[in-house]
Amino acid sequence: MTLPLFAISSAFAFGMLGLTVNRVHLLSALLCLESMMLSLFMGLSLWMLQLGSFNFSTPPMFMLALSACEASVGLALLVASTRTHGSDRIQTFNLLQC
Amino acid sequence: MTLTMFLLFFGWMLGSIIVSSNPSPYFAAFGLVLSSGLGCAILAGLGGPFLSLILFLVYLGGMLVVFAYTAALAAEPYPEGLGSIFVLPCIFFYSIVFLAAYYFLFGSDLEVLLLGVEEVGMGLVWGGDAPGVGFMYSLGGGLLVMSAWALLMTLLIVLELTRGGGRGGFRAL
Repeated sequence: MTLPLFAISSAFAFGMLGLTVNRVHLLSALLCLESMMLSLFMGLSLWMLQLGSFNFSTPPMFMLALSACEASVGLALLVASTRTHGSDRIQTFNLLQC
Repeated sequence: MTLTMFLLFFGWMLGSIIVSSNPSPYFAAFGLVLSSGLGCAILAGLGGPFLSLILFLVYLGGMLVVFAYTAALAAEPYPEGLGSIFVLPCIFFYSIVFLAAYYFLFGSDLEVLLLGVEEVGMGLVWGGDAPGVGFMYSLGGGLLVMSAWALLMTLLIVLELTRGGGRGGFRAL
């Protein structure tokens, strides 16, 4: 276990933990998702740099572009649900609660 | 180089812990800026300056700016800061878990932190990742076209989601 591998794994684990036990705001859950995306980008880039296989430079670029897509769709969903529910607090998303 | 790498990796972890302790989005965005800025420095120090600049431009300059002004949707009169009764014990607990895992895996071994590349004089780094990205245009041309199509579709998706006028999620607040 080298330090970059440990750092990537623990950053991903912390992001997933923050996404799972999200308390109040939907936007902070999306920010935890972004930190997971950052850890995946750092993972691909650090593997490419540590192993010296510079042909593998393109997956980080594609991953960053597609994670930008994902962030924008998440924010559009946030805006749409804020406009219907009044705020982005997850207590208000209780229409389907039994 | 050892001290720099130590500070950078632990700073990245600190930013990640700040985000995952779920404070108000203003402060979580600060944690994300911290972790991505230090991640850029890590990439530059390990010999990938081009990817570091790409991360700065696209991630910090594109995505986090959008998150920062969307944080206006999460406005509340007393935002829960980093010293709150829920957030500070959470940060403390996550830090203890991380440090315990680090000590369990590495002990007090300092050779783990010997990361870095040879510098070509005066702190300049030449990285091979910039020519490697050129494969995106030559052999990876098909995937480039597909991801450009995916970006165009994302634009249309976002416009459709926030359209309003009886369809979409747009209503009067």
